[in-house]
Amino acid sequence: MLKWLSFNALGTWLTTRFRGELVGQDELGNRYYRNKAVKGLNAADWRAERRWVVYPDGVEPEPTLVPPGWSGWLHKRFEHPPTVAPLQVKPWEKPALPNLTGTPYAYVPPGSERGRGQRDRATGDYEAWTP
Amino acid sequence: MPKLTVDGVEVEVPVGSTVLQACEAAGREIPIFCFHPRLNIAGSCRMCLVEMEKSPKPVASCAMPAADGMVIKTDTPLVHKARRGVLEFLLINHPLDCPICDQGGECDLQDITLFYGPDQSRYTENKRPVVDKYLGPLVSTHMTRCIHCTRCIRFLDEVAGVEELGAVQRGEHMEITNWIEASLTSELQGNIIDLCPVGALNSKPYEYKARTWELRKTESIDVSDAVGSNIRVDARGNEVMRIVPRLHEGINEEWLSDKGRFLYDGLKKRRLDRPMVRRDGQLQPADWRIALDAAAARLKGTAPERIGFVIGDLVDAETMVLVRELAARIGTPNVDCRQDGSRLGYGPRASWLFNSTIEGIERADAFLLVGTNPRHEAAVLNARIRKRSRQIPMPVGRIGAAGIDLTYEVQDLGAGVQTLSDLLAGGIGFAKELRAAQNPMVILGSGATARADGLAVLDLAMRVADEFGAISEGWNGFNVLHHAASRVAGLDLGLVPGQGGGLDVAGMLAGGVDVLFLIGADELDLSGLSPDVHVIYQGHHGDRSAPRADVILPGAAWTEKHGTYVNTEGRPQRAKLAVMPPGEAREDWKILRALSDVLGVTVKLDTLGAVRARLAELAPFLATPDVIVPAAWERAAGPGDLGFDRAPFVSPITEYYQTNAIARASGVMAECTKLRLAEHSIKATGTHG
Repeated sequence: MLKWLSFNALGTWLTTRFRGELVGQDELGNRYYRNKAVKGLNAADWRAERRWVVYPDGVEPEPTLVPPGWSGWLHKRFEHPPTVAPLQVKPWEKPALPNLTGTPYAYVPPGSERGRGQRDRATGDYEAWTP
Repeated sequence: MPKLTVDGVEVEVPVGSTVLQACEAAGREIPIFCFHPRLNIAGSCRMCLVEMEKSPKPVASCAMPAADGMVIKTDTPLVHKARRGVLEFLLINHPLDCPICDQGGECDLQDITLFYGPDQSRYTENKRPVVDKYLGPLVSTHMTRCIHCTRCIRFLDEVAGVEELGAVQRGEHMEITNWIEASLTSELQGNIIDLCPVGALNSKPYEYKARTWELRKTESIDVSDAVGSNIRVDARGNEVMRIVPRLHEGINEEWLSDKGRFLYDGLKKRRLDRPMVRRDGQLQPADWRIALDAAAARLKGTAPERIGFVIGDLVDAETMVLVRELAARIGTPNVDCRQDGSRLGYGPRASWLFNSTIEGIERADAFLLVGTNPRHEAAVLNARIRKRSRQIPMPVGRIGAAGIDLTYEVQDLGAGVQTLSDLLAGGIGFAKELRAAQNPMVILGSGATARADGLAVLDLAMRVADEFGAISEGWNGFNVLHHAASRVAGLDLGLVPGQGGGLDVAGMLAGGVDVLFLIGADELDLSGLSPDVHVIYQGHHGDRSAPRADVILPGAAWTEKHGTYVNTEGRPQRAKLAVMPPGEAREDWKILRALSDVLGVTVKLDTLGAVRARLAELAPFLATPDVIVPAAWERAAGPGDLGFDRAPFVSPITEYYQTNAIARASGVMAECTKLRLAEHSIKATGTHG
């Protein structure tokens, strides 16, 4: 309870407690909710229902850690969660990566000093003469 | 003088003018593609249609001679409709690749379509495919963009004098092509890039490198020869992206030689960007303080008469002022600006100038070329001579440097001095033709003066000029053609070993000096130099001299400093700084100024303005840019009996594309050279004999 408050998400906690219906949980511990079926409140169309994720306790909320299947469900690209209709993965698809900012694997523009230390050819470059 | 009315304005134009020129005189701009004031009229693009009273159809104004009483209208619905129609036809087959086209932004078709063209296309069929042609390493082709104006064909035929491009087929199927797939051989071929009104012919080295509107444009002067062509240096960031000519009627009209246009990629290669000092037999990077100290220590520890200064071909006049001051302060008489061994520089100024001026070529009516190959020594000037030879029938005699096609008819009179003295004695048929001429012109090349008997040849040539009436009221037909951009400024500043016993280049190299200070001098043969001689090299390229140097002081190339260059006519012109020198390199006059401080003989010239003021003091005729101060004609006293060398005159330029350090560093110039050599070897081992 206190942890929830520390994340400044009392509203989310209350909504989840009273309105939420647990749909599933992924391997990282993220739990996914949607509105409970309340007469008169739920629209007939699944696209109109509210869907949200609650990150596990003690973990910094990180939206890019939501797996693609669940992400698609949250964003209402799919009607059914991956627990019901597993995500079809094409052989050429690469695995999803979380946000790498701040890690050693973060993207560095070519030519940056944080990169491989040598930059590509640029305007104004010249070849110096060496004896 | 026909008088005609253009849009209600009455104008009078010279006889022989066209309606187009009359419209321009009346302040009307007529859109054109094929018309070019320096080329023959083709009348093929039909863009210049105007309405003429009493004519049932619009007339092509570029091809219609202006006649008395014509009434021309350039702003009527008929004219607009005609222009729109012409553009619609041109755009039928013109690809819409302006976003990637190098001409984009400076394209006549783009501009004219914007102002006069249709706003949409009615054409849904496929566009005409055309195979791109190979024209060598300098000109790239995108022949689908060609609108058949034939400017390139006319330029090569008329100005450049090589009939290498032509058109096959007709109508829509017409193609500009070369007869045999080979690179163009003209030294002026780059100009067809500027002439092409669309993006069909583009600069190959510049292809897809930059967009025209992101370039910073700086007005400058070409230093690849002594003509002093006016150029514009286009740079992006700190890189020269291309060089294009500027208009100067007195020098280059609007042309530029290929070397001047394409050598710029040499500015990015083999650059000296930090001072170097030889330690343990190896040149090692050092900082300025150490390098200047090392140079100064050697200069101080050597007797003044054992120090020699040699000035190279690309050095600006400001630097030469500093050299002169420094040498005077050190007290050495060994200063020479003629690294090719020329003997010019003594006597009156008229003996080393192109006195007729380049514009004066168009008044001459007979030429005598002595020991020169103007096609390679001054390609743009050669085009002027060809232009004159197309205006009037004109005898051109040549002594020495035989066997080279100058693009106009030349009579080879002989090989060397003997022929020249025979001519003076009137023993050659050509003497009669020369005497009959009103304004004969003698052009003396450095092939005749850069030899041991150079002064005697000079004297002989000046006697020839006097004898054949080349010197008269308002006409001085005695001309010296230099090929080094720095030479005239050096001679004007008196940078030749004086009568007080100074050594010239040959004397210095033969062991006359212990410290040799080379300022951009790369055309020297240093292999015979004694290993004990200490060489200080100041320059911008690690070319022929830098490997032998003991101290290297990195200077700036001509695009990287404000400099004054004096062309072969004696016309001072200013080149402006376009990009900054690389690394730790500095402007050359500043290096010498700093060195004088370290030597303890401070030359008190601290600003560019002060240097230029000193230049104007030393050589008052170089004070005003772009003004030629004519030199009074005066024949130097004969050098006495020096004895003549029987060897034939040869042009100093053996390889056109490799005449200076920048060109030798350039990959484009190297490719041109390779192609030219390949052609020569085919000729040598060919199947014709």
